[in-house]
Amino acid sequence: MGILSVLVFLPLLTAFIVVLVPEQKWQRIRWICLASTALHLLLTALMTWRFWAAAGQNVTVDRKSLLTEVYLTEKFTWFERFGVDYYLGVDGMSVAMMILTSIIIFTGVLASWEVENRTKEFFALLFVLVTGVFGVFVSFDLFLFFVFYEVAVLPMYLLIGVWGTGPKEYSAMKLTLMLMVGSALILAGILAVYHYAGITTFDLIQLSQVQYPVDMQTWVFPLFFFGFGVLGALFPFHTWSPDGHASAPTAVSMLHAGVLMKLGGYGILRVGVYLLPEGAIQWALGLMVLTTINIIYGAFGAIRQKDLKYFTAYSSVSHCGFVLFGICTLNLMGMKGAVLQMFSHGIMTGLFFALIGMVYGRTHTRMIPEMGGLAKVMPWLAVCFYIGGLASLGLPGLSGFVAESHVFLGGFFGNQWFDAGVTRALTVIATMSVVVTAVYVLRGLAQAFQGPIVDHEFEHLTDAKWFEKFSTGTLIVALFVVGLVPWFLTDMIETSVYPILNRILQAGTLVGSN
Amino acid sequence: MAMLPEFILLSLAFVILLGDLFLPKTTMRQWGALLALLGLVGALGSLLLLPQDATLLGGRFVMDQITWWFKLVFLVAGLLVVGFSADLLSGRIQDQKMVLDSAAEFLAVILFTLSGMLYLVSSRDMVTLYVSLELATIPLFVLTAWSKRDELSEEAGMKYLISGALASCFMIYGLSLIYGVTGVMELTQLDAEYATHPLVWVGLAMVTAGVGFKVTLVPFHMWAADVYQGAPTLVTAFLSVASKTAGVGVLFHLYIRVFIELIPDWSPVLAIAAFVTMTLGNLVAIVQENVKRFMAFSSISQAGYILMGFLGPTQEGVVAILFYLLVYAVSNLTVFGVIILYSSSTRRENISEYRGLSRTHPGLALIMMLGLFSLAGIPPLSGFTGKFFLFSAAAKAGYYWLVVAAAVNSTVSLYYYLRIVRQMYIEAPDGSEVRVQMSWMPRMALGLALIGTILLGVVPVF
Repeated sequence: MGILSVLVFLPLLTAFIVVLVPEQKWQRIRWICLASTALHLLLTALMTWRFWAAAGQNVTVDRKSLLTEVYLTEKFTWFERFGVDYYLGVDGMSVAMMILTSIIIFTGVLASWEVENRTKEFFALLFVLVTGVFGVFVSFDLFLFFVFYEVAVLPMYLLIGVWGTGPKEYSAMKLTLMLMVGSALILAGILAVYHYAGITTFDLIQLSQVQYPVDMQTWVFPLFFFGFGVLGALFPFHTWSPDGHASAPTAVSMLHAGVLMKLGGYGILRVGVYLLPEGAIQWALGLMVLTTINIIYGAFGAIRQKDLKYFTAYSSVSHCGFVLFGICTLNLMGMKGAVLQMFSHGIMTGLFFALIGMVYGRTHTRMIPEMGGLAKVMPWLAVCFYIGGLASLGLPGLSGFVAESHVFLGGFFGNQWFDAGVTRALTVIATMSVVVTAVYVLRGLAQAFQGPIVDHEFEHLTDAKWFEKFSTGTLIVALFVVGLVPWFLTDMIETSVYPILNRILQAGTLVGSN
Repeated sequence: MAMLPEFILLSLAFVILLGDLFLPKTTMRQWGALLALLGLVGALGSLLLLPQDATLLGGRFVMDQITWWFKLVFLVAGLLVVGFSADLLSGRIQDQKMVLDSAAEFLAVILFTLSGMLYLVSSRDMVTLYVSLELATIPLFVLTAWSKRDELSEEAGMKYLISGALASCFMIYGLSLIYGVTGVMELTQLDAEYATHPLVWVGLAMVTAGVGFKVTLVPFHMWAADVYQGAPTLVTAFLSVASKTAGVGVLFHLYIRVFIELIPDWSPVLAIAAFVTMTLGNLVAIVQENVKRFMAFSSISQAGYILMGFLGPTQEGVVAILFYLLVYAVSNLTVFGVIILYSSSTRRENISEYRGLSRTHPGLALIMMLGLFSLAGIPPLSGFTGKFFLFSAAAKAGYYWLVVAAAVNSTVSLYYYLRIVRQMYIEAPDGSEVRVQMSWMPRMALGLALIGTILLGVVPVF
């Protein structure tokens, strides 16, 4: 059993252990979970180190010829007759996502320290979900990938339905059904790839060496793009996201907005673009328009929101638009930026939802107009909120800047297939959203935290407790690390984006020669 | 020797009947289920030990790998249902009105119909095929009307009898047409040269219609809802699994074994039938309030998925159908196990009456949820693996529109399965103090069904 299997199944094991803890000793559960996630964080660090030891030299070799190298692989035959393998492995992109997930779940456990209602079931489901998320990031077999993908989506129904707030049953059902329709499209896409390849294997690397007919790519690529796009909050299929995130409990919002939505972008890159580059070339310009709408619509949507969670959720829609926008540029800068944005937005939005949970736990309201002057009573939380807000509007020095500047540069460079004028115009429009972001972030935060205390009941509120400080502090350190020394991540991501790019370029020459 | 499982079942049925005649009634009530269970285990054991290829009676009775698998499904279904029945027969339940009449006859009739099903999948001759189909079906009419004091049950029995008789008419008329053209009774001797004869087409269509009743293909599904709701829950569970599998067995005979050349011609029809069946089943299930009626429509939609495996005569399709039959049997019986046990202690059959089950009976709620998720095709449960390979077979035949439609249909089905999950997990209990009691036999059956539901999804058995 290799380190990746341990990383994937440690959360599942934790879930089983949690189930065995007697109901009245629920305080123990959170310590078990914290220990497990801390161990997970350590193991992820170890895994990253081992990955880098193996992959490091590739950064220096000729990148133009780089093919996908999968490291730390574990491969066993599973359903032999159908060519299904248990195939785990990592490349740069998956390592980055693993680090993100480990951080988010660690801080997520701390942020849900005071869940007292059916604690046992809550943490058990949460950890089942985490198993699915980790599994998706390390699967290089499409069957296994899909299994983990569904495991990551379904527990959400109960997590929101039981522990949520507001119209939780409606939100939970909407979220589950929309994501499941998305995965129905993905399933059809996977089967199409499997049968057109005709080599009886679900191995992603082997499938990527097949030349698929262009007309098949033309209709299968949108299956993947829209299927994964639902989870990546692609306009107009994003409507589950504000409702879902607003109703979900804190840790679930963090995990869902922080990590799960990234599965969408990750899937489009890893499966859609990588396997069907010609389909991507044909569709990307049209989709770029759609993702520009995504970015602008999300930003303007956020301006109108009064509820902090809806506010953050719409902002997430806008930021996830950058991920999809970056992918649609089909060049190195853009795709690298997309992966960076996944990481950066994951940390950022995790921080936001954690903070909202903490503030709500004190004020019992999430409506911005009802707050005001909270910085006086809870300076720590206010400062954290500001740092997160600055990151989300792309202030240099924080992670958002690094990611968004990559995406914009990528959009501006364009590629040889698209009209440069169009991509540049779209990039300019998308860049405008940063201004809108500044408006809503600064205005919203000023209203909530600055000025005199509006409600006198708020005067006796306390600032963050130790576990809250620990949780938010970790996330803020991550924001700064990515913002100030991004090379560690960008080098890693580059090694995995190059193979995808090379496949696109190869396909592009074929398209050109037609 | 190849007929040993059938012999064990039949002789056991007679032993139980005779025992009922000579022993006190209470003895059979107490020990009948255990005896039947032991017999089924014996039949299953002999099935596992016997060679998987044998030909008897001049080629009219054949045992091969595919037949073997069908028999496995029947015996597993029988085993689980008899396991669930133990408390209902012995009367160790709270509500004495739920206790089934005449325990010994009940078991004997179940064993008769099971043996009919086992013969059915082994027969390679139109006469034995038809006779064994009747042996499997007629006891089911009796079982459906078993609760004599319950009007719904009587009505269901009568409805099932009439529609079943009609189905048999279609079937035998179709068979006689095929025989009229070809002049042979043995399925194995039917030649491909007759396959294009128009009367063979008509015959095949009529047999398909007749079997369509058993498999609950739309538009031959009308009887299912009333019969499933009216029949004693145990019988509903048995009907939904074993009877459907028997129907698929006949379809298998006709399409895969005999007229395999016709499949490309028939595929569009089958694809549309599959689509209509799963969609109608799913849409109607959404509005159901009674859990048995709900499961009826759920099982109609499952028949649509199974039909997908028949598109394109591929090895993958055959494997997918066989695998899914077993998966469906264990998953459906997991759900039905909970329904049976819950309703036999509380007489509750409405979906809204499952509210708060996760608080009052966490174990049962979890088992029910896993069973429902497996039926909805959620990984890593077996229902997902089974559906994935069925969809793959349809994709291989080029029916991508059907794959998308079926996958979207799974989402629709998830919606109504989640309705029950919502009642169990999100709603608060209604405060009534009912405890579900069960002895070791139902407990064990439920455990086995659950283990099957989970393990078949991850352990490669084929």
